[in-house]
Amino acid sequence: MTFEVENVSKTFVSGDSDEEVIALKDINLTIETGEFVSFVGPSGCGKTTTLRIIEGFEKPTEGTVKDDGELVTGPSNQRGFIFQNYSLFPWLNVIDNVIFGLNINGKPEKESKKRAMEYLKTVGLEDFAERYPSELSGGMKQRVAIIRSLINDSKSLLMDETFSALDIQTKHKLQNQILKICKEQKKTIIFVTHDIDEAVYLSDRIVVFSRRPGMVKKIFEIKMDHPRDRQCQEFEDLVSEVIEMIGEVEED
Amino acid sequence: MKKFRNEYTKETLILPIILIIIWYIVCDVFQLIPSFMFPGPTDVANSFVRLAVSGKLFKDVFDTLYKVLFGMLLASVVGITFGIILGWSKRLETLCKLVISILRPIPPIAWIPFSIIWFGIGIGPAVFIIFMGCVFPILISTIDGVHRTDPVLIEAAESFGASNSQMLTEVIVPSSLPYIVSGLKVAIGIALMCTISGEMIGSSSGIGYMILTSTSLFDTGSTVVGMLVIGIIGIIFDYIFTKIQERIFW
Repeated sequence: MTFEVENVSKTFVSGDSDEEVIALKDINLTIETGEFVSFVGPSGCGKTTTLRIIEGFEKPTEGTVKDDGELVTGPSNQRGFIFQNYSLFPWLNVIDNVIFGLNINGKPEKESKKRAMEYLKTVGLEDFAERYPSELSGGMKQRVAIIRSLINDSKSLLMDETFSALDIQTKHKLQNQILKICKEQKKTIIFVTHDIDEAVYLSDRIVVFSRRPGMVKKIFEIKMDHPRDRQCQEFEDLVSEVIEMIGEVEED
Repeated sequence: MKKFRNEYTKETLILPIILIIIWYIVCDVFQLIPSFMFPGPTDVANSFVRLAVSGKLFKDVFDTLYKVLFGMLLASVVGITFGIILGWSKRLETLCKLVISILRPIPPIAWIPFSIIWFGIGIGPAVFIIFMGCVFPILISTIDGVHRTDPVLIEAAESFGASNSQMLTEVIVPSSLPYIVSGLKVAIGIALMCTISGEMIGSSSGIGYMILTSTSLFDTGSTVVGMLVIGIIGIIFDYIFTKIQERIFW
């Protein structure tokens, strides 16, 4: 068992009015090792906040998060986090960005660079190792950000709308890569997304959040084998079912 | 990010050439202004040759540059160090805020009396005044740079397990660098201004001293040489810092 989210609530005090906004209310989730779980829901439902609380970037107002039985008190290199956008260090070139985490943790640079080149090859960026982020397209930057997190061998990966800015081909390619890595290395992945097709394609379970306050509305289990066929009836039915559920949530 | 350009083309030479011609006509051809009031280009050229041949000019330039760089170095060490500390710690910044706000607007030349009492005559007063003039712009821009560090980059580094000191050296400092360099660029201009003022009062060497003493000997040609040399030094520093900025603004 990897993550235990117990009775997590989060209240924000909005700046000008001193009004309390309940962003999350009584979130309870257990996520098993090696599981791929997606968080979906209308915007403002607190799915990203939940992800950030699991990483340790934010503290819950109430409740606890445990990672392998240990209380989460702050970010850790055991939990890789991939941001939506623009998280590369602009003063480092691609390869130095990729080995940032390895450097921080005192790994020998020569070996790290060799591994980084292998990872860069898997996303087709081996010729861009010496380039700077400002010279890359949005999709290329995001691929670098993804392998920068993957290379650290963290037990889990938390991804916040990581693929949302990519074109569809790159997106599909990276989805398959993430799936492969997740299954091979038994990584636990929590994936926040707006793209229901993506959630159904990737996830073992989909958690649907409701809005204001953010609560877990429903959890879908998906038992289909990988690679999943986007055209098959079962897939399409699931997608519409999830969309319907979010729609209902939105009307509440 | 935005590109810095200060390219000097042929067009930029047009106005200076016209000005020199007018100056020549007014002062040398028609002699409308007596040379003890303002020298003509011929006087300036003569003074320049005399000062250059005797080696006095290079000695004075070297002297002034030495003070500028020494004062800047001290101001940079103090300004950048404290800038990073105060930018990092909200509490210390609040603690120091009022003191900085009061000291900052005091013109550096207001420190001249104390600089002479404390450091006597020599390079000491000038270096001190340069320090007082430069330390605040460097401090403020460093604090600003630290504050402007993208929170996403800090969180990214945290998720890789960066310690506080690694956060400082691997994220905060590189990310503040462009702002620090902008501060240094502003400071070098102030440093030149301070040096000349300082040299006019508490000093017996340097371009400022040369400007002041040559006027009292009615050698206004040397005064203008000194002024132009300062202008040229200013352009060179500006060029150097612009080049550095081009390299580090990603």
